[in-house]
Amino acid sequence: MPHEKVLLVDDEREFTEVLSQRMQSRGVAVETAGNGREALQKVQSGSYDAIFLDLAMPGMDGIETLKHLLNVNPDLQVILLTGYASVQKGVEAVKLGAMDFLEKPAEIQKLMDKIHQAKANRMVIVERQAEEKIKGILDAKGW
Amino acid sequence: MSEVPPHREGELAFFGRMGAHVSHEMRNVLSIIGEYAGLLADLLEAAEAGRPLDSERLKQLSRNIAGQVAKGTETMQRFSRFAHAADQQTASLDLTALVEDLVALAQRHATRAGCTLKTQLPNEAIAVTGNPFRLQHLVFSAIELLLAALENGESVTVRLHAEGSTAVVTMLGKAPITTDEWSARVSQLSAAANESKAVLDTSCTEGILSLTLAIPIQ
Repeated sequence: MPHEKVLLVDDEREFTEVLSQRMQSRGVAVETAGNGREALQKVQSGSYDAIFLDLAMPGMDGIETLKHLLNVNPDLQVILLTGYASVQKGVEAVKLGAMDFLEKPAEIQKLMDKIHQAKANRMVIVERQAEEKIKGILDAKGW
Repeated sequence: MSEVPPHREGELAFFGRMGAHVSHEMRNVLSIIGEYAGLLADLLEAAEAGRPLDSERLKQLSRNIAGQVAKGTETMQRFSRFAHAADQQTASLDLTALVEDLVALAQRHATRAGCTLKTQLPNEAIAVTGNPFRLQHLVFSAIELLLAALENGESVTVRLHAEGSTAVVTMLGKAPITTDEWSARVSQLSAAANESKAVLDTSCTEGILSLTLAIPIQ
């Protein structure tokens, strides 16, 4: 059974196909989206440990997609993975709440490290939310 | 120092933008080849661990890599011709090839605007004499202008034909009603066209907006 679940968002179908195969052979469950709208639909109906997002896509670009994704769920772990090399865009993405910014081509091990890091971040968030929930219940009961 | 006319200021920006599109395209090509190389390494590693190699899969991988190399080579050949257009102030050139290269290179630009570019070009060369780089800029600017009027998902068709001693490049697209700002941009482009001895004309019939560049064949 796969340990992590990832969403690849890129309009280069051949890129997402081959990267999916490589991630899957490393035990990662992968879904793909060819544009920002498709990614939003997937996020609304599914849960992902990490989302790899291209910057330059037709229609809704990466930055706009990132804003919408984080609007749906601010805890999403989004990593920009793009051939559009611009430090300025990378900084903008991270300021908006992206976990990281990587330039294509990226080594598979680097991507796997980011997936593990994203999953760890998510676990911390889930634990924190559980603690807050328990604290809320305890406070309500006056314990 | 003499003042630079407004339509000239855009020439450097145009060159930069096309370079950025091509470098993005090439990064994608190299990334895909890189992933295929990685997949090959994964398969070989699995084979060393005892999993049999699937020769059909390897053949397909080889074909895919060759396909990406061909795509990258074509992009670079087109970009090389595009860049060398700036070498000469005046030259005799094949407008058919120029438009074909330009539309191919501008495809990503259109895609980012949510549109696509199509061509209807003659099979034969149409020879014109002029400033190759300015002609490229002029055709691109007309495409860009039409894209600015189009809605997401629409397409621009670029047609070329010869009419006596004139080469006619027509850009067509389904567009809503244009704005005053758009009309002002048309006037600016018209001035640039005149400088290249070309004439720009616009018309709108049944929701189809067309920009026509008439370029003298010399």
